[in-house]
Amino acid sequence: MEYTRKLSEKLSVEQVKIELLNTAYGNGHTFLAKLDPRTLFIWYLFFGMAPWFIHNKPVLIGLLVFMVITTITAKISPLIILILCLGLLGQGGYLLIASWFFGGDLSVILPLIILTMKVSIISLASITVFCSMDPEKLSNGLLKIGVPGQVSFSIAYGYRMLPSLLEEYHHVFLSFRLRGKAPMKHGFLYWRTIGYFAKIAVLSFYPLLLSTAKRARTTVEALELKGSFYAFNHPKVKKIKLAHLSFRSRDYMFLAFSALYVFTLFVAGNI
Amino acid sequence: MSKMKERYVLTQSQKMMVFILSMSLYGLSNMITELVPSIQLGPIELSIEYFAFIPLTLCILFHPLYAAIGAALGEVIFGEIMLGQFGGFGELEKFIAFSLAMFIAGSLVNDPTNKRQVGIAAIIGVVIHQAISSVVDIGKVWIGVEELEAVPGLAESVVVIEGFAFLNDVLFSGILFALLPTLYLVPRLYGKIEPLLGMKPRNNTIKFSMKEVIAPRLIVVGILLACAAFFFEFLSEAGFNYEWEADFLEIFGSWFIWVSIAVAFLVALITVVVMIKNKNNSSNDNDNERLSS
Repeated sequence: MEYTRKLSEKLSVEQVKIELLNTAYGNGHTFLAKLDPRTLFIWYLFFGMAPWFIHNKPVLIGLLVFMVITTITAKISPLIILILCLGLLGQGGYLLIASWFFGGDLSVILPLIILTMKVSIISLASITVFCSMDPEKLSNGLLKIGVPGQVSFSIAYGYRMLPSLLEEYHHVFLSFRLRGKAPMKHGFLYWRTIGYFAKIAVLSFYPLLLSTAKRARTTVEALELKGSFYAFNHPKVKKIKLAHLSFRSRDYMFLAFSALYVFTLFVAGNI
Repeated sequence: MSKMKERYVLTQSQKMMVFILSMSLYGLSNMITELVPSIQLGPIELSIEYFAFIPLTLCILFHPLYAAIGAALGEVIFGEIMLGQFGGFGELEKFIAFSLAMFIAGSLVNDPTNKRQVGIAAIIGVVIHQAISSVVDIGKVWIGVEELEAVPGLAESVVVIEGFAFLNDVLFSGILFALLPTLYLVPRLYGKIEPLLGMKPRNNTIKFSMKEVIAPRLIVVGILLACAAFFFEFLSEAGFNYEWEADFLEIFGSWFIWVSIAVAFLVALITVVVMIKNKNNSSNDNDNERLSS
């Protein structure tokens, strides 16, 4: 009961907005947040790919420990970690149960644990990297590695517009509820109520589609006035915009330390 | 030159408008579906996988390419980066699969007022997306688990679980949250939403540029790409342990037949749609001859 109350508190619209802004801007003071975005991309390039191809157990355990430490230093919101853990446990558990139906035995557990370990290393690496960058830094970093300007614009636009879009959707949804008639009975397993809400959730998009279309037009017209389409992919504009990005000594140290750690792991794992 | 005039051409700002519209709406819906809890009935998960009707509607009403890319980017930005769940490379696969599926669905529709076309396109879009993502998920377990066939029951269970999830998503999410809402929204929005973006509605007389020439080719290329990805995964795995090849067909034999049936069915379905489209388009004789031959 306590759990459901806490969960419903977490799920109110206001709380979602706060949580979003917190995820975006809440941890700018950690060590990882001070690194250059390119350093984090390079770091992620290894830790996001390599675990799939490593089958050595001690090495994997070492990598997992390293990821847990970086996650702790990045001060990730507990809600995100909880969602990640539930997802991992759910997937592993289903595979385990289903494989028993096909004549598997306890020997299935070990490969599944290794698989889950790999997935968690990769997920933790991506959470660490992408949560410790605030949106501005992420879009600048993406721009620097050659992603089109529209993408970095979209990220900024998303962060700016989402709270108001969410609020508008909520209002439309509530007005549908006010004018509509909820089912008298909940039905078996609440299916009537669920169906009713699902229908409203879909219908609410009809007014929203039209109002967002208007808003999209206004946005594009404003962008045209400011000459953004010229600026998006023009090298000189990019150069001025990204002049502040630079590798510092802590970037080199971080990469060197990670490389050293992985190297020692491989040496130690193969003995 | 006369053909050039007939094409459905958008200015750069209109493309951007479609892109932003699709991105923000699908992103918003993605955030909602991420937050709505799913119902678990044993292994059957009755969850709202995604509100596929939004990108489908927009792809059908506007230029499919920009609407599809916008929706896929919206999913990545709103549903993943903003919720702090950005998966890095995993998102790339989702991005490609989703925009490909939505683009194909959007370009299949010739006449947005034709309900049968819209319905077929909506279901095909969902099926393509779900098929690609299940194949990728199965591939992940193959690569992730060393000597998969040595572990009894694991290979079958992965295929069964993914196949089940595929059917569940297509039949539950696909019908309730893609087919029905698209059928409801497209006729209502057609002609209403386009003026808000300052453009003319898509109709039969204005030709949509890539529809007839590239779409069938694109589908073939898409299938080839999927096969290639599939074999590359298999090859890379075979490089790691050679004893795989012998047991490969024994384990996955029946499944391969199922895949080929699915591909054949898909191709047949596409041919039927193209034929219907040609019938509607009897005015343009050149294109008819080329496609039917």
